[in-house]
Amino acid sequence: MAKRSYYDIDDILAGQERVPCFLRTDLDGLGSAGSGGGSSKVHRNTRWTLPYWMADRLNEEDYLDMEVSPIFAKRANRMYAASPESMQLRAICQHYYQFGLQLGEMVPEIPHVLYNMYMTRIRKVARIAQQGHNVEALDFVQSLDKMEARMLRLCQQAQGAIIAWQQNRAYALKRAAVIHD
Amino acid sequence: MAVTSRQREGFTMPELEYVAQCESVTIVPLHRMDRLELVRGTVGPFRPPQKTNVPLWLAVMLKRTNRCRIVAPTWLSFEHLRDLCKREEQPDSLFTRLPFHYLEIAHIILTHAEDDLVDSQGIRRLLQDLREVRQSKTRGGMEMLNPLQLQMDNLSAAEINEIRPLFRHSFDMLRQLDLLASATEDSRQQQQQSQFGELSYSEMDDVIGSSYPL
Repeated sequence: MAKRSYYDIDDILAGQERVPCFLRTDLDGLGSAGSGGGSSKVHRNTRWTLPYWMADRLNEEDYLDMEVSPIFAKRANRMYAASPESMQLRAICQHYYQFGLQLGEMVPEIPHVLYNMYMTRIRKVARIAQQGHNVEALDFVQSLDKMEARMLRLCQQAQGAIIAWQQNRAYALKRAAVIHD
Repeated sequence: MAVTSRQREGFTMPELEYVAQCESVTIVPLHRMDRLELVRGTVGPFRPPQKTNVPLWLAVMLKRTNRCRIVAPTWLSFEHLRDLCKREEQPDSLFTRLPFHYLEIAHIILTHAEDDLVDSQGIRRLLQDLREVRQSKTRGGMEMLNPLQLQMDNLSAAEINEIRPLFRHSFDMLRQLDLLASATEDSRQQQQQSQFGELSYSEMDDVIGSSYPL
């Protein structure tokens, strides 16, 4: 189990991503919990997708075998390494980095993949924040995942704060109402 | 007191401006005044036209009531800033030396004491150019991020404040990735060691020595 902050909402949402699992036992009455619900009995040796937080715990108890999510499969990793800047992270997984950190103990290539992805993309985010939006940046901005989008917003705010302060828009001193002439 | 999201990421610009006003500047008082005993020290008697050093906040207050003229600091002149700009624009140079609060002090003096400066429009332009060059250099600093250490000398307070959210988050991310990488490396080595129970000691050394990534 990854040692992440317990109360972090983004963390919780990231753990909600589904991973494919291979069941080892029969499960009664839980057919509607997985995809393709309908019957209420799920037999052993079927494939199922469950949220990561559930699959991880059940994996440790040996009720099922958890497999690597297709987002971080070997083929996907090679594809991402080829062109990190053009990947549509928002479409693939909104909490890509956090989910990757949670899966990191299972898949040893993940730190490498995440590092490459993060370094190239965050450089572009910093450049966009400092130079302002333009048309070609719009596509990139729409493909950012939640964490990168938050970084972009923070950088833009920091930029805007200095400019607003230099134009004397940061604050205004007014005489207090209790002072009478 | 509630802390806004802006305040959580660092200082706000008005706060930095407030802190910058503790720096001392030279003024030429216009009226005679006796010694002022303040908490941080004594501000000596004002005997015009002798120059005295006072904190910036006091200088601004006196200037607004027309009791003094502010002498521009040596670094806030058109020639000096132009030289700094030239040096800054040279490729592969480090940041040039500037006072820690140079942006705030320059802003305060340009707002309140513009008539005491020579060629204030030129100074504004040069300050803007300087800031842009330094910003592109901080972006270059991003390339050199690693989980251990990054040294960028001569950054000013406002510039540090600007890059703080991004760099802080990047350092955190890199550190977590690093921990994850070393954790999986350790567990993989442990697995290998338990598998080679029957090898002799010299063979085991060869195998383990070759699996170190360094």
